[in-house]
Amino acid sequence: MKSFIIMLFLFLATAQANEKHFCKPFIAKMPIQQNGRVKPVFVHASETIKFLTGKSKNNNMNAVENFCLLSLKSLGMSKNFDIDANIDHVKILKLLNMKEGDHKIPFSKLTSLQSTIRVAIVGQKENGPYKKALNKVYNKINIYNDIIMGNNWKVPYWNNEKMTWISFHEFTKEFSKTDSRFIEQKLSDLNQKYLTNINDAHLLEYNYAKSRLPMIALLLTLFCLAALIIKKDVTFGVLSLAVMVIIAQTIFITLRIIISGRAPITNMYETVLFSGYGSLVLAMIIGHLKKEKLFLFIGLSYNLCTLFMLNFSYGLISGSIGPLVPVLRDNFWLSTHVTCIILSYGALALSWVMANTVLIKNKINKITQKEINYYSEIIYTCLKYGVILLGAGIILGGVWADYSWGRFWGWDPKETWSLIVICLYVAILHGKYTSWIAPKRFVPLTALAFLGVMMAWFGVNYILASGLHSYGFQEGGAIFLGSFFSIQILIVLLTTKKLNIILNS
Amino acid sequence: MIRCIHWTKVEKFIGSLKFAVIIISIFSIFMIVGTFVESYNGTEFANRLIYKSWPFFLVQGCMLLSIIYATFLRLPYLKRLSGFYMIHAGLIILGMGSVITYYAGLDGTITLTPNHPVRTIDLPKQIIKISYIDKKEVIEYSLPYNAYSTDINQTYNNIKLKKYYPFSENKLIWTDIPTDFEVINSSSTQYLLYNKNIDQEFTLSLNKLATQFESSLRMGLLSIHYLPDEISNCITLNNKSKYIFWNIENNQCFTPESRKIDLQETTENKKFLVLKNNSKVLLFFPEFGPYPLDKDFNLIQNSSIRVLNIAPFEKDNHLFLFGKKMAYFKENKWSAYPLSIKSDAVLPWMNFKLKILKHSTTSYPELLPKYIVPTQEDGKLIKGQQQAIEIQIKEKTYWITNNNPLSVLINNEKVKIELTNKKIQLPFELSLSNFKMKQNPGTGTPASFESFVRLFDDSGSSKHHIFMNNPLKYDHYTFYQASYFKTRDGSYGSALSVNVDQGRVLKYLGCIFLVFGAMFHYYLKVQQKKRL
Repeated sequence: MKSFIIMLFLFLATAQANEKHFCKPFIAKMPIQQNGRVKPVFVHASETIKFLTGKSKNNNMNAVENFCLLSLKSLGMSKNFDIDANIDHVKILKLLNMKEGDHKIPFSKLTSLQSTIRVAIVGQKENGPYKKALNKVYNKINIYNDIIMGNNWKVPYWNNEKMTWISFHEFTKEFSKTDSRFIEQKLSDLNQKYLTNINDAHLLEYNYAKSRLPMIALLLTLFCLAALIIKKDVTFGVLSLAVMVIIAQTIFITLRIIISGRAPITNMYETVLFSGYGSLVLAMIIGHLKKEKLFLFIGLSYNLCTLFMLNFSYGLISGSIGPLVPVLRDNFWLSTHVTCIILSYGALALSWVMANTVLIKNKINKITQKEINYYSEIIYTCLKYGVILLGAGIILGGVWADYSWGRFWGWDPKETWSLIVICLYVAILHGKYTSWIAPKRFVPLTALAFLGVMMAWFGVNYILASGLHSYGFQEGGAIFLGSFFSIQILIVLLTTKKLNIILNS
Repeated sequence: MIRCIHWTKVEKFIGSLKFAVIIISIFSIFMIVGTFVESYNGTEFANRLIYKSWPFFLVQGCMLLSIIYATFLRLPYLKRLSGFYMIHAGLIILGMGSVITYYAGLDGTITLTPNHPVRTIDLPKQIIKISYIDKKEVIEYSLPYNAYSTDINQTYNNIKLKKYYPFSENKLIWTDIPTDFEVINSSSTQYLLYNKNIDQEFTLSLNKLATQFESSLRMGLLSIHYLPDEISNCITLNNKSKYIFWNIENNQCFTPESRKIDLQETTENKKFLVLKNNSKVLLFFPEFGPYPLDKDFNLIQNSSIRVLNIAPFEKDNHLFLFGKKMAYFKENKWSAYPLSIKSDAVLPWMNFKLKILKHSTTSYPELLPKYIVPTQEDGKLIKGQQQAIEIQIKEKTYWITNNNPLSVLINNEKVKIELTNKKIQLPFELSLSNFKMKQNPGTGTPASFESFVRLFDDSGSSKHHIFMNNPLKYDHYTFYQASYFKTRDGSYGSALSVNVDQGRVLKYLGCIFLVFGAMFHYYLKVQQKKRL
């Protein structure tokens, strides 16, 4: 009996090792066609496994190994292998009869409950958060099923010397053998043939994804900001670190432009990336021209915020490169109109960082009227750039809309909110000229006005979610935006009272 | 003199920065409300309520006035204000361009199906079109661009336009059966079918006045049949032959067994029944249909007696409803169960329960348009898509919707009344040669929409290619690729938006002034600072 158990263990271990053997490193670099693009398995596997489970590593294996082993299920292999779905919604946990506090459920079990979820979706008349969460789980089950059926990814295939793309399932159907080593050899041959006969462009995306440049840029920004705060001056070291941040982000953006073949401003991830990068460049230029180190501080601080989002807000903003909706396929307008708008958001974000810094600084240490006036001038400079860029962006958008849709202005939510933002800032600037808005009110008002930018940028996509600018709509951002609004209002409420008392006294 | 001083103060106030800040803030509030209204209630409702409403036009007018006065109050010319003049002149020109576009511009849609020349443009403006068919006379009345229900009360000949609903939904109304209306089957019932996941209301009727309701329906795998109450007695007899005779004139039923009618077979093994009704002999072949044959083997389609074969209803999921009773086949027999408003009856499928919401033999159900604030979900209207107008012709009231025109005889004249969009004719024709939708490789998502059109005018024909970011400009008209649709034969049709914008030049000029003005303004400021 003992020897039988040992034999069985050894057999299972060998079988598992044999299956894992299939997921060799070349698989990660292999080109596949997915969602209208050719990309390496590594990128697709990382995005898919992260979407399904919420993390890249599962079962002590990387995303590619997880993805490979799931795909092998289509050949009747890796039967005992599975990944867990993470269920957060309380009502879904109840629906699936999951234990309290237990959020993990194996996908094989979840798949067996697919009809229960479908019936629950049909039963929901209102498209509320529960229905959206159910749809998301249902979508995950479909993707999981697609993977285990071998239909989720397409491999290059030569039919009479003509290259085409067929699903992994179709590819393996041809072979009577279902040995993983045999399949692996065949895939390796295809990979080699693709590299020889077609191109190796997808390898750039592999290196891009592997490089983890956003994390490097984040660490560099952190070091640079810490050095600036400690040294209290733009020393050579601080400047070198700032330049390194710019270089890291420039390489990242350039690679993304080459891979996607378009301006890097077509989804939420790219706009966040570009606004942080653009604002840092802008801040360094203005800081150099005005000989003011504070610009570098606010530029780095805002860039740090955006890099945190890029690295740690996967559920909110996805870095996946996908095909564009037809109307956006015009690189000239895309790179002029959207660039202007995103740069303006960056410039206005600088004013927001500065305003909050002043408010918090005042809460910790009293600041004088003279300092307030000085900081107000810095904020004013940022607003000036922001408003001009926003105005130019709106006009360019109007011209593009006239050229593409036949109307200069259509009261689309994104258009309208950009106009609201410019109106808010113009009202503040006009108010500053009059005695209506004194410097003590100008600072908190500038901090609050940025909520308008956030609404135009994220709110239209996450809260309003309608209109012609439907390229960037994503769900799940309402909590982020709500938290942002609450914290900002709280900061202003907590700090302004003291600011007023000090200044009045 | 006093009046003159007063006006100067008003002018100064309108041109002041304070007024500018107030009016910009009001303008912003309108827009914020507008975006939320659009998100929840749709673009059309937001346009009618906010963006194209007179209060919003008034605010925009005040803004234009504020800009004009702000500029004129700062005259005569000061070099240091050159940027300011340019920015404000730009805004004034832009505003003028917008006013011209609003009043003289055209913004419509042309719908093209393959190889079918079209010259009609649909405009967004809604009208009531009254066509006197014989006289070939057409009267059009423009409907108000309001967000809510509007009383029109206008009369054309004998047609009175009463209420207009820009957004409506059909609501179930129970109307009393007129006393002079003789009806054999007057029963109508509204039911609720539900389980823990789904609930569905449905109404069935046997009343001839309830023209919008059927006596049977299919809900997924379940087939529901609504029959007179009397029939339930025969169905639950579970007679051996499975045939039931039904007299539709008095709703009486009986089985062949009860009348001792034998089920016979022809030499070709076709089953038949012979019924002697008064002096007539009726021959039924129940496998072929419910109607009898006369002695000369002619089909009697107006026969009041029909035969019902219930055997096919024993397979699959069939539910018979008899107003306040139901019957289904289970455990090899038909059983009837009572239904009521107060309690639920359990069905043998998917834990479904059934209850009555309303049952009536003295009134009949009607679907009448009711005003509703529209609701939008995922960018599409889910409630309130229908437009409706109530009209009165002589003493009778009718509802016309955008989907249901009305054809009536008024003083022996054929009249068609439609609630439709205003249409205009192009001076040339467009024909769609081909519509191409390129897809992203390996997906069903569109990568581009392209219309290949042929344009016909007095000078001949020409070919054009219209796609996103590549409109067709011809004779002041601009055609943009807007949408596409599938035709009945499976080919694709194309919808192009058509635009004539006389204010375009001014708008572009205004923008140029704005951009250069802003640049000049800050250049002068920098120069000023340098001098200081």
